[in-house]
Amino acid sequence: MSNKGNNGNNGNHAANGEPVLRIRNLTKTYMQGKIPVHALNDVSFDVNKGELLSIVGPSGSGKSTLLSMIGLLDMPTDGSVFIDDVEITKAKESEAPRIRREKIGFVFQHFNLLSTLNAMENLDIAMRFSGVPKKKRKERAFELLTQVGLGDRVTHKPSELSGGQQQRVAIARAMANEPAILLADEPTGAVDTKTREVIVELLKGLSEKGQTIIVVTHDMEVAKQTNRIITMRDGKIAGDEYRKGVTENE
Amino acid sequence: MFDLIMRSMTQRKMRTVLTIFGIALGIFAVVVMGGMSEHLNLTMDKSLKLLANDIEVKPDGTFGGVGTLDESKIRQVKRVPGVKDAYGVLITALDPEDGGGFGSDMVFGVLPEKQMKDAKLTSGRYLIPGDGYNVVVGSSIARRFNIKVGDELELKSKSLQRSSSITNKRNVSVVGILEYTGSFFDSSVQTPLDMAQKFYKMENIISSIYAEPAFGTDPNDLVKRIDLSVEKVKSKSPEQLRKEAEGTLVIISLITISAAVLAAIIGGLSVMNTMLMSVSERTKEFGLLKALGAERKTILLMTMGEAALMGIIGGITGILAGAIVVYSLNGYLESMGSALFAITTRLVMIALLFALTLGIVCGTYPAYRATKLSPMEALRYE
Repeated sequence: MSNKGNNGNNGNHAANGEPVLRIRNLTKTYMQGKIPVHALNDVSFDVNKGELLSIVGPSGSGKSTLLSMIGLLDMPTDGSVFIDDVEITKAKESEAPRIRREKIGFVFQHFNLLSTLNAMENLDIAMRFSGVPKKKRKERAFELLTQVGLGDRVTHKPSELSGGQQQRVAIARAMANEPAILLADEPTGAVDTKTREVIVELLKGLSEKGQTIIVVTHDMEVAKQTNRIITMRDGKIAGDEYRKGVTENE
Repeated sequence: MFDLIMRSMTQRKMRTVLTIFGIALGIFAVVVMGGMSEHLNLTMDKSLKLLANDIEVKPDGTFGGVGTLDESKIRQVKRVPGVKDAYGVLITALDPEDGGGFGSDMVFGVLPEKQMKDAKLTSGRYLIPGDGYNVVVGSSIARRFNIKVGDELELKSKSLQRSSSITNKRNVSVVGILEYTGSFFDSSVQTPLDMAQKFYKMENIISSIYAEPAFGTDPNDLVKRIDLSVEKVKSKSPEQLRKEAEGTLVIISLITISAAVLAAIIGGLSVMNTMLMSVSERTKEFGLLKALGAERKTILLMTMGEAALMGIIGGITGILAGAIVVYSLNGYLESMGSALFAITTRLVMIALLFALTLGIVCGTYPAYRATKLSPMEALRYE
């Protein structure tokens, strides 16, 4: 199913062989009435630090379920998820918020910025939950927004930003607490082709700086630009492909 | 945290304003109704205090109102063992064309030597034995008729039977003005008993008798003895009078307060409704906050804080509005003779606490709903 042995040779990015995420025998079964639905069925794989990984597959293949387990938004029926060697699936409900803050950064299809807050404040609130001091929050928010190319838009409300700009704010927000893993659920699903390229380039750039990123997408154009593609089908991993020189691919 | 709450409230201005208005209206009702009941309480309390320890003897069968007794009853009461002294009082309405009753102006014919001196004078003197057509007036009357010591006050009477018009008028001189007591003394005119009896053509007639118990006599036992030895009277000890008054007050308070509380609860329900709506509108927002790592208690605090804040703002608005209305109404009523409302610290504290509790209680369920949202569900919600 997986070909972990190739790790070190694959991609031209900083996969240094240290797994930041380990998934073991992850299973999620929903009951739909009296019929059990296996959304995830015994899924195991590792993700190394700095990898830019895409999870693809048809609707209902379990990719979003997988993402929500990693993000601690949902609990598996069986199996474990380790982030930085901590088994987050064993964490108590009361510990979940802290793990989400410290380990995970989310990027969603519909950006999900708080409409009442401007770009700066959207970043600020994420850091506020982690108890970052006010002055530092401001500095970091500005720094991150500049990094995503929105240094001149910091006081704009989401309604005053284009879809692509909103998604860049969302990515900056996901990065605010320096998460171990950035989880992006269809990050280009709601933007046009041109903007899609901007978003993908941004993610690639972050990955080059060592950020681990997992992208769930059904857009093969996006997947092709990542250095590893996991294909899901019927709750199982149907393919795990490491790609060389992704940038050369069409 | 506070800025987020404020943000959420100002985001939905119209709704926030309407909700606060709902609470304010409820608390306004609490303040006005409560103010009325507080005033009654205070008046009754002070009136009873001024009545000291005397036993009240009234004709049997009069309930609350004013009846008549023959003066000979005084001697009979005096003869009852345990009675140190007894004296009669004649009570009539100052304006015979105004039916009289609680809070209206009354004339008290009293023995000058038995005048109650717990109500202090602001000017002039008390009645003295031998005073003829002289009166001591309460503060409300003095203010309303704009009377100073030495001025004259017109007394009117009509013969008790079958007369519909004033039959007799007479000017009397004001020799003393009492200070504000917050009791029925404020709207009283005190005059020597013999003069009152003569003017009102009620010679040898009194309205009630006050009996002083001898030292060491149990007033409750004495009440029984008086009722047994004097015919056709009903006596009440200070304790009984107090209980009776309190009983009436409790009923009045219950009626006014429950109407007010009802209004406030409706206000509270509007907070609940607003918060529920706001929570379901912000499903996605709360889901996102959770995904960003917000603790449950943060979300709880945000929603409850919003509800509580609306409660407090509504409460303060209601209290202020109530205070303004009560103040101006009292101003008007005082110029007419008697105040009707009293806003006490106790009342303000109760109203504020009530508003806050209402906000919090009605915000709890919506807040709980907000914390229960699964971030995954919330984020899928479009």
